[in-house]
Amino acid sequence: MAVFPVRCIQAGMGMCQDVLIKNIQMKKIILSLAIVIAITFGLYSCSKDVIQEPDPTEGLIKLTEGYVPGAAVKMELYSKEGTINSGFSKFYIALYDSVTGNRVDDAAIQLMPMMDMGMMQHSAPYENPASSKADNHLFPCSVVFIMPSTAGSWTVKVNVKNLLNNKEGALTIPLTVTEPVKSKQKSFTATHNGGKYFISLIDPVAPKVGINDIEIAVYKKVSMMSWPADSSLSVTLTPEMPTMGHGSPNNVNPVHIGKGHYKGKVNFTMTGYWKLNLDFMEGTAVADSTQFFDIEF
Amino acid sequence: MKKTFLFILLLSYCWHAKAQTYISQMSDDSSRIVALNEIIVNSIQKNPQHYLVRFFKANSAATLEDILSRLPEVSLIRRGSYGMEPSIRSFSGGQINVLVDGMRIHGACTDKMDPATIYIEPINLENLQVQTTASGFMSGSTIGGTVDMKMAEPDFLQNKKLTGIVSSGYQSAAKSFFESAKLNYSSNRWAFRASGTYRKSNNYRSGGGEEINFSQYEKLNYSLSAKFQQNNNTYIKADLLADDGWNIGYPALPMDVGLATARIASVSIHHSDFSKLIYKWQMKVYANKISHFMDDTKRPFVPIHMDMPGLSKTFGAFAEGEMKLNKKQRLSVRADGSSTYLSASMTMYQPGQLPMYMLTWPDNRKGQYGIAASWITEIDSTLKLQLTSRADIITYSLTSTAAKDQVSIFGYSSANRNDLLKNISTQLSKKITKKLKATGSISYSERMPTASELYGFYLFNNSDGFDYIGSPNLKKENSWQADASILYTKGRNRVQFNYFYSRLANYIMGKVDPTLSTMTIGANGVKSYINISKASISGFEASAFLKPTVDLDIVSTIRYTKGKDAEGNPLPFIAPFKNLTSLRYQPGIISIQLESETSLQQNKVSYLAGEDQTPAYFLLHTRLGYATSIRKSSVELQVGVENIFDKKYYEHLDWGNISRPGRNIYAQVKIGF
Ligand SMILES: [Cu+2]
Ligand SMILES: [Cu+2]
Repeated sequence: MAVFPVRCIQAGMGMCQDVLIKNIQMKKIILSLAIVIAITFGLYSCSKDVIQEPDPTEGLIKLTEGYVPGAAVKMELYSKEGTINSGFSKFYIALYDSVTGNRVDDAAIQLMPMMDMGMMQHSAPYENPASSKADNHLFPCSVVFIMPSTAGSWTVKVNVKNLLNNKEGALTIPLTVTEPVKSKQKSFTATHNGGKYFISLIDPVAPKVGINDIEIAVYKKVSMMSWPADSSLSVTLTPEMPTMGHGSPNNVNPVHIGKGHYKGKVNFTMTGYWKLNLDFMEGTAVADSTQFFDIEF
Repeated sequence: MKKTFLFILLLSYCWHAKAQTYISQMSDDSSRIVALNEIIVNSIQKNPQHYLVRFFKANSAATLEDILSRLPEVSLIRRGSYGMEPSIRSFSGGQINVLVDGMRIHGACTDKMDPATIYIEPINLENLQVQTTASGFMSGSTIGGTVDMKMAEPDFLQNKKLTGIVSSGYQSAAKSFFESAKLNYSSNRWAFRASGTYRKSNNYRSGGGEEINFSQYEKLNYSLSAKFQQNNNTYIKADLLADDGWNIGYPALPMDVGLATARIASVSIHHSDFSKLIYKWQMKVYANKISHFMDDTKRPFVPIHMDMPGLSKTFGAFAEGEMKLNKKQRLSVRADGSSTYLSASMTMYQPGQLPMYMLTWPDNRKGQYGIAASWITEIDSTLKLQLTSRADIITYSLTSTAAKDQVSIFGYSSANRNDLLKNISTQLSKKITKKLKATGSISYSERMPTASELYGFYLFNNSDGFDYIGSPNLKKENSWQADASILYTKGRNRVQFNYFYSRLANYIMGKVDPTLSTMTIGANGVKSYINISKASISGFEASAFLKPTVDLDIVSTIRYTKGKDAEGNPLPFIAPFKNLTSLRYQPGIISIQLESETSLQQNKVSYLAGEDQTPAYFLLHTRLGYATSIRKSSVELQVGVENIFDKKYYEHLDWGNISRPGRNIYAQVKIGF
């Protein structure tokens, strides 16, 4: 850029303006060229995709695998992290025909998490795969582990109905759930109706300075075995940096988007330790105003 | 002393003589000679200013800031005994240009601890130009004017190959001392100059004896330049300037400076040939890198320790030339461009937690490309018209994802900018009688918001106690200015009076945003930069240079400015009425100087900006000089007492109402060979 004024002088004073304009035009031309090249390359890589399909489990870590008796499928269970923390855990199930080894992409899968605490047993919130058609050969589903394995032992029973052969069976997987350094699972007894609510922090997974998506999920415990998603509450989000005593501007309160999930925006003005304060209301009645999640990055 | 003064007189004489010779080279048509003579002499409108600079430079204990503060147009914003920020007619920061030899240097400190003026030691200062209104924007779009510090060049010496100066000084108020040396070597076509200055200052004591903590500093400044005379008309010059400062205290700020470094380099070619149409031109390419590390580890009661490093890198080039179109018209042109990268961050450390990090200046690059021209024509023998205009294209862009993410917090989708700045002025000067000259000018100018004003992220301002947030959508600030001056000359005496009025629109200032929570612990709140519809700054300056007898000089200046925002509230950082009067008596090799400084109280203050009233003060300084030569070397001794009455005082532009130094006895010796 510094070379430019020299060029400008060589061209003569009167032409300076022209050269300036030319310079801008030049930039435009280069930009358009860059776009054309980018599109061409983009198309090229797309056409390559068709030929060489990437592994759908790339970037995922296999937690366990086993044969589902009766359904004639082998099941593989994946997650992004490789370990399971208490809170909202997303899984990806891959099914293979136990004889041919071919992928099974049509299956109805139902989960049933269970914790055995010796004296009693309870289930937990969960989300079955949204469709019986696999998404990129995988069935995404979720379980909310409301406490770590230190209090008992967790299992998830996966019931598979293979729609290719209409055979059905179930596999029970034992899982070890650990408590993360910063908890992502909280619960409270609502002051307005005495209901027991469980809230999970789903996003931000990789917080950064700037605007982040925030996603939480809210569940209500109806019985030991019934933990439906709840959409009756409204959420107010107040981020806070307790060490410095400040907040952050332009946050967007999470609103319900379905299945008990609430999505909003959270701003972090710096790295470090943040508290995400969450207040829950039903209409004008306060359900709880003591909940928060810790985030440190 | 006398020698210095003689030298200065000689210099001014040389200048005059030079102009004469150029003219006689030009043509034998006498009327033409006169015409050009007029033009050249009159084009140096900073003449009284030159005189002032020379007068105060004669006291070689004076720092650049001492000299600057004595120019009636300039006031200094003070945050410590180091790095005072110049303000021209109450315009400062992004409203003015501070150039070193025409080069742009952007400070690396978000708190403005490092104005470019700190890089020029008096030993390296050739001269100082403060240009206002009509020609103030010639080297960069600005509404307030330009300070340009011309660096000393290597000299070609006739009868000696090597010359040098060594000087050393001590000041009692801060128990400070400096050592300074300069060497000049020249051969047939080459000349070299090297200089170095080391300064160390302890905490100073204010009037009444109070020690001002965190006012210490230490610095080393060194420069090297080489000049090659290609032919009679052309020379090439390369300059390197380095400045390292460390352990610099800022009593008015919550942080000090651990280390600040500057590296400034340039190569230039200069040409003058008074027989040509373009009788003078120069071209320069330059680069500089400033780094700045703030430090609070020496401060007691710091809630959370933090690091605040900053970096500024600029490269650029310019070319300027002067041509005579005909015997009555002259044209100066300039084209320049520069690119500045800025980045600053803050990291706070709380034991047991991850560090808290953010960008205080989100990484950004500013591009600036401008052309300017000034045309002077003589309408008749007493009337002269000057038209000056300048256009700049300014681009700003954020250069990293982290920077963009951070700016998006405030909802700005794009923070990049492309702006065209326009400046134009016209000036008319009329010789009413042989002794009386009147000049009037009107100008319109625009300035670009600064990186802090556009992108600053919770920049704490200790003056009003607010965190400041930039607004990437700010409009350009602009100003209509009128200026009138009258100059009366009689013999060696001259009296000048200047009145100016600036009407600003889209004036940029901070406005409290109650929806934002402070970042800095203990801050009063958060202000965002906004444009306010209008503001005005007006005032006057007067200066008198009297020489009642051959050995007596009297120099007196007064200044007054007044600023109002759209609602009529006073603007912040407006210095009150001030008078400086110096009397120099020089009967022989001894010179005696008496100086008074009178400042009225400032009660037009901006309460919105957290200001309070500043009391009046009166100071008296005295200086004694003795110059002689021992064998072949010249020896110069200077002693003096500043603030003789040990008055406890501060100026209105001093942050935090921190008292300035009390009685200060200084002594200095300078040996030249
Ligand atoms: Cu913070
Ligand atoms: Cu600083």
